[in-house]
Amino acid sequence: MAEKMELNEVEVWDGNMAASQALRQAQVDVVAAYPITPSTPIVQNYSSFLANGYIDGEFVMVESEHAAMSGCVGAAAAGGRVATATSSQGFALMSEVLYQASGMRLPIVLTVVNRALAAPLNVNGDHSDMYLGRDSGWIQLDAFNCQQAYDLTLMAFRIGEDHSIRLPVMVHQDGFITSHTAENVKPLSDDEAYEFVGEYKPMNAMLDLAKPVTYGVQTEEDWHFEHKARQHADLMTKVFGKVEEVFDAFEKKTGRKYNIVEEYMMEDAEVAIVALGTTVETSELVAKMMREEGIKAGVVAPRLFRPWPFEQIRKALANVKAVACLDRSSPNGALGALYNEVTASLYQNDNRPVITNYIYGLGGRDFTIDHAKEIFKELDANAKEGRPTTPLQQFVGLRGPKLSFY
Amino acid sequence: MSEMKKIKNLKEFSTSADRFEGANLLCPGCAHSIIVREILNATNDPVVLSASTGCLEVCTAVYPYTSWDASWIHIGFENSSTAIAGAEAMYKALQRKNRLPDSCEGKSPKFIAFGGDGATYDIGFQWISGCFERGHDMMYVCLDNEVYANTGGQRSSATPIGASTTTSPAGRVSYGEKMNKKDMVQIMAAHGSPYVAQVAPNKWKDMIKKIQKGFSTKGPVYINAMSACTTEWKFAPDDTIAVSDLATDSLVFPLYEIENGTKLTITYRPKNKIPVRDYLGAQGRFKHLFKPEYEYLIDEWQKRVDDYWEYLQRREEAGV
Amino acid sequence: MKYLGWDELLPGAILFSFDEEMEKDACEVLPENRPYAETNSHEAYVGDWRVLKPVYNRDLCIDCQFCWIYCPDVSIISRDKKMIGVDYDHCKGCGICVEVCPTNPKSLLMFDEHVENEKALAQWPEKE
Repeated sequence: MAEKMELNEVEVWDGNMAASQALRQAQVDVVAAYPITPSTPIVQNYSSFLANGYIDGEFVMVESEHAAMSGCVGAAAAGGRVATATSSQGFALMSEVLYQASGMRLPIVLTVVNRALAAPLNVNGDHSDMYLGRDSGWIQLDAFNCQQAYDLTLMAFRIGEDHSIRLPVMVHQDGFITSHTAENVKPLSDDEAYEFVGEYKPMNAMLDLAKPVTYGVQTEEDWHFEHKARQHADLMTKVFGKVEEVFDAFEKKTGRKYNIVEEYMMEDAEVAIVALGTTVETSELVAKMMREEGIKAGVVAPRLFRPWPFEQIRKALANVKAVACLDRSSPNGALGALYNEVTASLYQNDNRPVITNYIYGLGGRDFTIDHAKEIFKELDANAKEGRPTTPLQQFVGLRGPKLSFY
Repeated sequence: MSEMKKIKNLKEFSTSADRFEGANLLCPGCAHSIIVREILNATNDPVVLSASTGCLEVCTAVYPYTSWDASWIHIGFENSSTAIAGAEAMYKALQRKNRLPDSCEGKSPKFIAFGGDGATYDIGFQWISGCFERGHDMMYVCLDNEVYANTGGQRSSATPIGASTTTSPAGRVSYGEKMNKKDMVQIMAAHGSPYVAQVAPNKWKDMIKKIQKGFSTKGPVYINAMSACTTEWKFAPDDTIAVSDLATDSLVFPLYEIENGTKLTITYRPKNKIPVRDYLGAQGRFKHLFKPEYEYLIDEWQKRVDDYWEYLQRREEAGV
Repeated sequence: MKYLGWDELLPGAILFSFDEEMEKDACEVLPENRPYAETNSHEAYVGDWRVLKPVYNRDLCIDCQFCWIYCPDVSIISRDKKMIGVDYDHCKGCGICVEVCPTNPKSLLMFDEHVENEKALAQWPEKE
């Protein structure tokens, strides 16, 4: 039996420690992992827990991220709780196996500390890796601070492992800004946390020798489409209800409330920023400032990035006049992903606000209060004019001549 | 560890109930399934299996049919080793936590990964190396037919010199493959693996003995299984065993084992050693070598095989 | 197996080998006693791959089992150390069994697929 860890009511943890503590408390059966900046401390912390008797599962330090996810798939199919961590290039290297994991409906939890993708090489936070995962068939939850990184990691197991879901889950946090910033985190006790996550209930386990099962079949044009459709249908119809159910249960346990789409001062907002990650908290702070300047500002943040919360976004932004979608990833030849998703969602509303796109913060470039203020002011102008007063896509915080499109 | 299955002779062996099914989609005369049958029938313990993308995989799990009567997983081309290592890790974790499924309680499942030579020598090399370095309790079986057979016969780093493949074709100015075959058995022995062996399905008794030895060995075991390929080596489907005999009796595929990376033992010495020329001549992939301008390559082949046999004997004698 | 709609599929495209839970490992249960699932290739047919078929002559067989061990398609049926016949649902007609048969004349020979086994046995060659 693993040792229990005595925790304070309030711990000072960075995002990596928050994630690794959640993995420890979930009593994961197999962690197969490979270190990469900035998620390395998750793997190091876990190693330290193991070395000090706090883990009784298997910890397999593999030789690459591809092998990490390969080992996770084998372990999950064998029938137990599985998790790992990665970032950036590691995420890209394991991307082949991400599709395999979700296609085989294996509920693996992957804590992703978001980081830019090379070239040029960069170790800092942006959302390129998170966006790379968006068609992979995983559930993607996004934490905006350390507490949320802890909470969502615990909840991820309960969501993904549910027999009606059986899908892998990523829990994202921003590289360095969350992962390496120590904040106050209120943890559950080991017992409370494990009780919340629940004991892993096997389903179609390879180790159930009485019922031999074949995983990873080949399907060609006569079967492939139906299998992919089945997975898509489950993502579209079953996940939202389960996420809400788990969020509710977590609120009952901790008092901390989570929503599929988080809204800040949206009751009467006329202009809104839609963002992910740590930018959400910066935007909230600035929205409050803008109110003092007479701009009815609000913030909308998808907690769930995949499956995309189409209905919740429509509702959250039903009454605004202007929206700014902030993408922290180079779209490389298109409008930003968040812009495209939000615009497609709002196109179905009777009220169609002016929607503009800001590309910002690549490779860890700071997103400042002044940047957010400027965006809100431009939104205010758009709202008053009823049309874009700026180009549709603008780069923020970039040196050189102003870069914008359309 | 459960008791080792007793296999005195072929009659006794033939009472085995196969866990590999027919109506798979492998070519008529394919040696892969002969190898798989011999391996699975060598134990009465449960088996948990994985396969890399390749002939064995695409021919035995095409929806809606599986040819496996034991749990089996395929992920990708490069990672059957790590897939089964993950399953083995889960077994250890659940055993320690007393949470194994009831049907698994008290059993000693054998964890076996299969891969072709492309998956083993080339694309999956790193994953296998990682699994062996970490010491997972598993057996990795390379079905070595010296070519990417599933995708139409492209060269791999197991393809021998002079073989004509679709990416190293013999032509007006080429005798085919230019590189010597990678020595995977020695590389795996160099990992310090407790047991590494080269086997051939035609020498079934030698093979069963080695597989059973592998199963009773704790840690990662590497088996290099020669798999004569009727389609890509270009011989008639009913000649699979005859060509395999030529391979082992010409010593192109010497049968030997290495324990703990240090103790080499030759396990088969042909009574009548046959010329390499006879082995090459039985296969269409070497047909062009019999043109006068390439005859020297056959001589080189013979010398290479003789030298390697000499080397194996010297190591055996020296006990290293 | 009939084509299924997307809503009828098991998540993860998994396949089960058997319909029922197995009390013993399959290696301890002869094929005729196994609860094969419809999705087990044992239930499928590849006999139409054959151009030639092996015909078995019990009178000549010495039950050496070479045909059993070298059959790639699990199509030599042996029970209690005796060879009892060929599984024509799974035999692809490779002819290995005939090649490895050591008796003289052989106890297995290839015949055109359309020749009836009785007729084949009637035209069996003499000892060479």
